[in-house]
Amino acid sequence: MEFLFYFGDVFTPINFGLLLIGTIGGLILGATPGLSPTMAVALLIPFTFQLEAAQGLILLGAAYTSTVAGGAVSAILLKIPGAPANIATTLDGHTMAQKGEGAKALQISFLASAVGGVFGVLLLIFLTPVLAQWALAFGPSHLFWLAILGVTVIGSLDSKSVVKGLLSGCIGLWLATIGFDDIMGAQRFIFHPALGGGINIIAALIGLFAIPQVITMFAKGRARNDAEVLEVQKHPISGAIAELGRNKRAMGIGTLTGSIIGLIPGVGGQIAGLVAYDQSKKFSPDRDKFGTGHPEGVIAAESANNAMVGPSLVPLLTLSIPGSPTAAVLLGGLLIHGIFPGTDLFDNHPDVAWTFINSMLIGQVLMCIFGLYVAGMAARVAQVPQSIMAAVVLGLAVFGSYSVQSSMGDVYVMASLGVMMYFLERFGFSAAPLVLGLILGPIAEANFIQGSMIANATDGMAPYFLGGGLNIFLIVVVVASVAYSGYMELRTRRYISKEEIMA
Amino acid sequence: MSDISVPRLQHIIASGAVAAVGAWVTYVSYTQQPAEAFLFPRLISTVFVVLALWTFAKACLGWTKVGSGLSGRQFANMLPGLAVALIYIFWATKGLGFYTATAIAFFILLSLYDPASHRELRSWVKRVIITAIFLAVMYGLFALLLKVYTPREIFF
Amino acid sequence: MRNVIAGAAMALLSLTGAAMADGHANYPERPIMMMVSYGAGGATDFQARIVTMTAGNEDALGMPIAILNKPGAGGRVGWNWFATQAEADGYTLAAYNIPHFIAQSIKGGVEYSADSFEPIANWGADPAVFVVAADSEMNSMDDVVTFAKDNPGKLTFSGAGLFVGHHIAALQLEKAAGVKMAYIPTKGGGAAAMKAVIAGEVMGGVNNLSDAFRAQEAGNVKILGVFDLERNEFLPDVPTLKEQGYDVDNASVNFRGVMVPKGTPQAIIDQLAETVPTMFENKRVAGKMKAGGSPMHIMNRQEVLEMWAAREETLKELLAGL
Repeated sequence: MEFLFYFGDVFTPINFGLLLIGTIGGLILGATPGLSPTMAVALLIPFTFQLEAAQGLILLGAAYTSTVAGGAVSAILLKIPGAPANIATTLDGHTMAQKGEGAKALQISFLASAVGGVFGVLLLIFLTPVLAQWALAFGPSHLFWLAILGVTVIGSLDSKSVVKGLLSGCIGLWLATIGFDDIMGAQRFIFHPALGGGINIIAALIGLFAIPQVITMFAKGRARNDAEVLEVQKHPISGAIAELGRNKRAMGIGTLTGSIIGLIPGVGGQIAGLVAYDQSKKFSPDRDKFGTGHPEGVIAAESANNAMVGPSLVPLLTLSIPGSPTAAVLLGGLLIHGIFPGTDLFDNHPDVAWTFINSMLIGQVLMCIFGLYVAGMAARVAQVPQSIMAAVVLGLAVFGSYSVQSSMGDVYVMASLGVMMYFLERFGFSAAPLVLGLILGPIAEANFIQGSMIANATDGMAPYFLGGGLNIFLIVVVVASVAYSGYMELRTRRYISKEEIMA
Repeated sequence: MSDISVPRLQHIIASGAVAAVGAWVTYVSYTQQPAEAFLFPRLISTVFVVLALWTFAKACLGWTKVGSGLSGRQFANMLPGLAVALIYIFWATKGLGFYTATAIAFFILLSLYDPASHRELRSWVKRVIITAIFLAVMYGLFALLLKVYTPREIFF
Repeated sequence: MRNVIAGAAMALLSLTGAAMADGHANYPERPIMMMVSYGAGGATDFQARIVTMTAGNEDALGMPIAILNKPGAGGRVGWNWFATQAEADGYTLAAYNIPHFIAQSIKGGVEYSADSFEPIANWGADPAVFVVAADSEMNSMDDVVTFAKDNPGKLTFSGAGLFVGHHIAALQLEKAAGVKMAYIPTKGGGAAAMKAVIAGEVMGGVNNLSDAFRAQEAGNVKILGVFDLERNEFLPDVPTLKEQGYDVDNASVNFRGVMVPKGTPQAIIDQLAETVPTMFENKRVAGKMKAGGSPMHIMNRQEVLEMWAAREETLKELLAGL
């Protein structure tokens, strides 16, 4: 209960002011396409040079929390996920916005974020020492199987056609191998100089989601068509709370999946949203409604990606291992003040550690309040005609992909992938599995290579990759997932053939 | 073979293109050196090409279930916008500078797809104002707040 | 004929060069950008941000330096960009990591070499150290080598990638001790390599002194030896490899500093070479670096040029067999 002693420190005028600035700034940065939470936190590091250790961390922690949640704004309203964490949010969130339920989608996404986020931070507070061992349990072979599990998730995410879903995933996995390979430094598939640095994941995300949407709007032509106007109906907050209450299962699955996945170093928050979305879809009686603007999807995705924030700091704070790029930036914020994470942090600087963790708890609540306010404002933006929408999204996509690392190559990659994706989408391929492949490819490859090197030096490939409880558990889940996908494929095939008979 | 419908032909072309890319990726993976660096690409390209050929075969047989293809009308509608967007991205951003190019492209796209009448002065004024607001927001966000260095502009 | 044209071109270039040198009196007139070829939050990025934080002061450059990250493939992506696409106008600087970029250029497949860049000054030197998990039975380098001798090729140890300082240190150790060990390069830098050691995925590891020092403070690892010529002030109790009887010099020490692309006007190089080292000596910079556990080592342009040349020679010899 040590953390309770330091709650007062969060509410000193300076600390609370910084918490407010970090939260509001984080929401704005998070809503900007192209700005990942890692970059937002890195941008703030220079400001913390002037602050005390606890103050600097409050600012960075608040920014981390609210950029993750802020990404939902552009994901829902513009269908541009700000970071990989928000991909799953676009699936149902943007469809809801298209139906005029943008305000509702934003409200439930912020509420779900807050619930998941608070749970995640509480885990960080109470279970840190236990969880630290958990985080280390995942070695190369387990991370490899985990990535493979993600690939099978790809197949079932797009249940309309498992083959095309898996094929999209393969395209994504291939795109991820473009560029220099990280271990040998060999050049792979670099057929244009813009690809020299590989495909930047943020630029690819923007292109794959935003550009097809722009072209779709172009394809509708110049007709005055009121149905295509993105209208945002007002929605009472109490209604959103009630909606959350009705979807306790999605909420629970999202929060738990997010917390567990957030712990695993290296995989982190990138896939928490997608895995949680997929799991709650499998467990939901209304699984057919997913993807058509179903609130359950938004709740699962957003509660998961904020639940991962707290646990993702466990390896950093206890073992001094930054488990995610954002945690690495936070480590920098600590080091500048001469504080080493680990036992040193909790024994010698408990004021810093607990003030920081408490501020993240308060930050989740503040983020929710400001987020709901933003959602209310979105309701006042009555009508955005699609001609303006298309031009705005295009402009944002160009600026957003350029700003990732000030590179024209990223803009070209963004546009090429986007145009390609539009045509692929017309023929039944989908963007989400492709992106998942792009994200998981490097994780799977690095751990496969590293694992096989360790295996060759020690007890051989088969015992290393197939032995041990955790490996077997993951393999069983992979096999079950493939079987499920195959079953779904057969079921839809029967359905189609019945329809053909009827016709 | 005259009974092949337009969507079916489109599906054959699309899945054929994907299969061709898959075949190229597989070929490169198995021939390039060093072999260690292409171990993982070999693994995935093999799955890639098998799935792509399966899809291609299904398209040829007309078994494709999902994807509605592209109508001529949709294609005609999007062509001018797509052309403007591509010129904007691949040439104008670097040739004219980010903000100049964005202003021009934004205005052209608005004019192309805005349903308001082209004859009224009011709709033109509205378009100019919207473009100016968008540019101001972009400049404030990326240049002032985030300090993103964009290539030099042509006019200023 | 071609020589005449080339000569004329050279003459013209040197003329414009001289003319431009006069125009550089006001340098710098706008903020300067510094490319870091590793991700935000990594050791190089973190230190680059600290050492450049006083650039805007009147007694330094008078203009701030903004950090731009271009990570990927162990730094190759950023340095390729810097060698081929960066403008040589004095407003584009980059951080270098020795021995990384020299080793990569010797190995090939990149578009730069030591001749593509002009060093300005060196700010830090982070030696590699050998670490084992805190509960490991090995307590000295001799224990490590004995195990490796008894189990050739079975001793797994991690490091951050191939053709980086850690890999060089590993090669030197194998050569000096005459043993075969299994070097496991990890993706994700020193942090991932350290995680592998702490989690027991590998038996030992080569890592940065600064990161290892922190991990030892946290009680997670033991540091068995330093790959440098002398002991480090952060770890006065840890002997060097040489003291333990292995002929390993400082070729793997990770030197970090500032450079510009070849072709940058000489007047600007001279001005930077004069100002930047004093900027590194700033007391606030030194304080922050010490607090972060990052060893400083300031060298001027001439010293860096000599160090680059010496490294190139050693590394060519060491990597010849690979």
